[in-house]
Parts: sequence; C-alpha cells; structure tokens
Amino acid sequence: MPGSQKILELVIPSDFRYLGAVDAAFQDLAREFSCAQRWIDDFSTALVEACTNAIEHGNKYSKDKKVRIVVELNENKIVGRVQDEGEGFDFEKFLSDSSPPDTLSERGRGIIIMKAFADEVRFSFDPKTGLCVELTKVCGQTGPHSSKAKK
Amino acid sequence: MKVNQRELSGAVVLELQGKLTGGPEAEQFRNIFKDLIQDGKKNIIVNLRKVEWINSTGLGILISGYTSVRKAGGDLVLCNVGDRIDSILYVTKLNLLFSAFEDEADAAEHLRKRSTV
Repeated sequence: MPGSQKILELVIPSDFRYLGAVDAAFQDLAREFSCAQRWIDDFSTALVEACTNAIEHGNKYSKDKKVRIVVELNENKIVGRVQDEGEGFDFEKFLSDSSPPDTLSERGRGIIIMKAFADEVRFSFDPKTGLCVELTKVCGQTGPHSSKAKK
Repeated sequence: MKVNQRELSGAVVLELQGKLTGGPEAEQFRNIFKDLIQDGKKNIIVNLRKVEWINSTGLGILISGYTSVRKAGGDLVLCNVGDRIDSILYVTKLNLLFSAFEDEADAAEHLRKRSTV
C-alpha cells in the first residue's frame, strides 16, 4: 500500500495484564502492510518492553496512572511512542552504558531489549506529562538473532 | 498464565501457557518452585511451547527459578523455545545461562545424565 500510513493509539492501565493487548493490536496493524513476521515480532518485543518499563518504573503500578501508546506505521518505517506519567530517570546514563547486568540478576534488561529490537531508542521527559520512549525501526531490518543454543 | 505440572523421567515438567510477563505471576512461580524444592524435586523442565513471548520481568521469573533450584543442587532447563523467545534470550545473553532443548524428552535425558555424573 504505497503512501499509506496506519496509526495505532492505545491507553492502558499500569497493569502487566494489558501488555498482551498491546502486542496483539500492533501485530494486527503490522500485518496489513505484509511485513515479515520476524520484523513484526522484533518491534513488538521492543514496544512491549517500553510498556513494561512505563508500568513498572514510570508509573510504579499506580492504578491512577496510565500508559499512552502511539504507533505510526508505513511501508518504510515504524515509530512507536510510549508515554508514562512518572517522574523520569537518568536515561542518558542508561543509554550510554552498554554493559549487561549480572547474569543472575533478575532485573536490568529492559533497555538492552529495546535497543536490540529497535533501530533507535530515544527518551524525553516533560515534568508535566512524564517520560516518553520513542522507538524507531526501518521496515524489513531485523535485529541480531541466533539459532537456538543447545548445551 | 497457566502452569501445568507433571513428572517425566525423574524431572518435573512445568508447561506454561500464555504470556510470561511478571507482576502477580512472579509470586505464583516462586511458590511453585518453593514447594517443589521442599518436596525434594529440583530438576525442572520449563516447557515454553505455549508461551507466546516474554518480557524482562518474565526473564526475571525464570532466573529466580533457576537460582532457587541450583542452590538446592538441581537444575532448570528450557524446552520448545519459540523463535521470539529465543531471540530475547540471545540478545540478553541468557542463552548462555539456560540450556534449551528441542523437546521434553531431550531435556529429561540431559537432566538424567547430569544426575548420574
């Protein structure tokens, strides 16, 4: 569909049970553009991870706070924005630090996942509205994948 | 998320169904592992055939289970890992932590051999 663009807008509570709805809505939208399934899955993984962070770290699971998601998709590029209502964090530090967490650490992989499955990850913060994560991915390019590692 | 539990060749298979995302599920999982370890069952196979995807908090749940059974002298392995989860394990380097097998039989055989070493 040359020249066409689709926009997805969602507002979800700060509850992990709604992550599935985000994934499903994006998957349905992306398939209208005949994108490769791996590409769709990659971006959806990054998008869901951004929502995870918004719920956990931004809104701190508060029932009074929402997560706003806007995804703009055309045949060339996709841009997703995830907005929380939190107080922000030192994202410059996290973006510049590429070292992974300790292997047995149960936390600390959200930004790694977003950076792996999106071409660009940008954070911005407005005290009035909260933190926004913008994910960009060029259509067709997939992230670093492996074959299954067996021991 | 649903968890079906059964035994296979001396190991316990936890067949998960749904999305592994953390949150309230974390407590459910921790209790399952705690109960299994208390019963002396410390070789665990987590079958991900019916798990569509996982996020970072879901990874934390798996790591928590792994740490628990390893401390008890056992092991936790994965089987039927789909492409989407495999990619996530790869980019987070958790493919170096978790042994993953094609199916439950292969996973059970690995645990059996490990137990006899």
